[in-house]
Amino acid sequence: MDPNEVEFLGEKQLVSIVPNFNFDMIHLISGSIGPFRAGLPVKIPIWLAINLKQQHKCRIIGQEWMDVEDLKNIKEEEKKSKVFTKMPSNHYMDEVHMLLGAASDDIPNADEIRTAVKDIWDIRMSKLRTSINAFLKSEGTHAKLDHLTAMEINNVRPLLPHALDQMVRLQQIGQASATADSREESQNMSSI
Amino acid sequence: MSLCSSYKPNYFSIDDILATEERLSCKVLQKVPRLGFMDHSSESKDLKPGTKLELSFWLAYSMNKSKDPIASIDIPKYYKESYREILNADACAIELSKWNTYFYEFGLHVAKFDHPDCEKLPELLLKTFKSRFRLVMDWAQNQDTNPMIASQLPMLERTIFLSGRKSKEQLVYWFKIGGGGIKTTELIANHKKRKRSTFIENER
Repeated sequence: MDPNEVEFLGEKQLVSIVPNFNFDMIHLISGSIGPFRAGLPVKIPIWLAINLKQQHKCRIIGQEWMDVEDLKNIKEEEKKSKVFTKMPSNHYMDEVHMLLGAASDDIPNADEIRTAVKDIWDIRMSKLRTSINAFLKSEGTHAKLDHLTAMEINNVRPLLPHALDQMVRLQQIGQASATADSREESQNMSSI
Repeated sequence: MSLCSSYKPNYFSIDDILATEERLSCKVLQKVPRLGFMDHSSESKDLKPGTKLELSFWLAYSMNKSKDPIASIDIPKYYKESYREILNADACAIELSKWNTYFYEFGLHVAKFDHPDCEKLPELLLKTFKSRFRLVMDWAQNQDTNPMIASQLPMLERTIFLSGRKSKEQLVYWFKIGGGGIKTTELIANHKKRKRSTFIENER
């Protein structure tokens, strides 16, 4: 998958905005949004929020977790923990990327949030790499990784599945030739 | 993706065809009438027993695997015991493509022969692949890696490396610039629309 496609999925996430216009409810296939009342916060999907922001029709209030202190705590926890910790959102990376890209003037401490999120991303990525390596080196047949987010999974996607497929192939052929040998031997035995 | 087609070697898999094209040194065991031309150094009409030939795998295999083998084969030295020790010591230090571009594919084919060194071959290939994967992954995910490094990898690792690298480039691009506008798919862009004007001309 393309990062753009992951971002597209992330755009469905809801975000609070403060509109500066009045409008009735909008009925969409995925659900109804609104009504919009000027000055009253309302939750809408990110794609619409960015669109409205570009037309200067709203102010984006960021997600609750987009707070420098909270993110620093998450980062510390991530550092301490051996396994992956739960992220505030399944699309944290893309949400930060989209919202801060479109509305860095609305969200306080945008730059610090960006740095903190990038740090968290880097820690998790290196953790993922070491765990993939450990998994491949061990003879394990399955691994369980909780709390990985969409963009992180996408990051290892063509590499890891392809490698695992090839490993299965090497293994299967090895086993097949071993069983074929034993079968031939048993046939030889019976012919004797 | 090209990797998918080479998962299970089939009749149309180019990688597989090229892998079976690799040569093995064989020794003829029986007299083969009228095939003397295969040995360029001899003048005789027939292929004599004891002649040493370099044959492609697909030919060598069928000559060796019959009930009454026509030729005996010698497996390449890089699948043998002494090289196995090199691989066990540190598989990452070796430029595998210099040994054979189709190291894994060819190895799986060679493993089909009845040869004492062949029994442990699939196991060795798997172990080598596992220990080298970290290297391939690090190269693929590190942006500063010289793309020319791909030529040092055997084909199987090369395709994995290139696909991993492509996705990494996409991710870096997304970080920098973000998902831009939606593009027309190639299918639609290449699809030639029938123009109204040509229609009218044809009708006249």
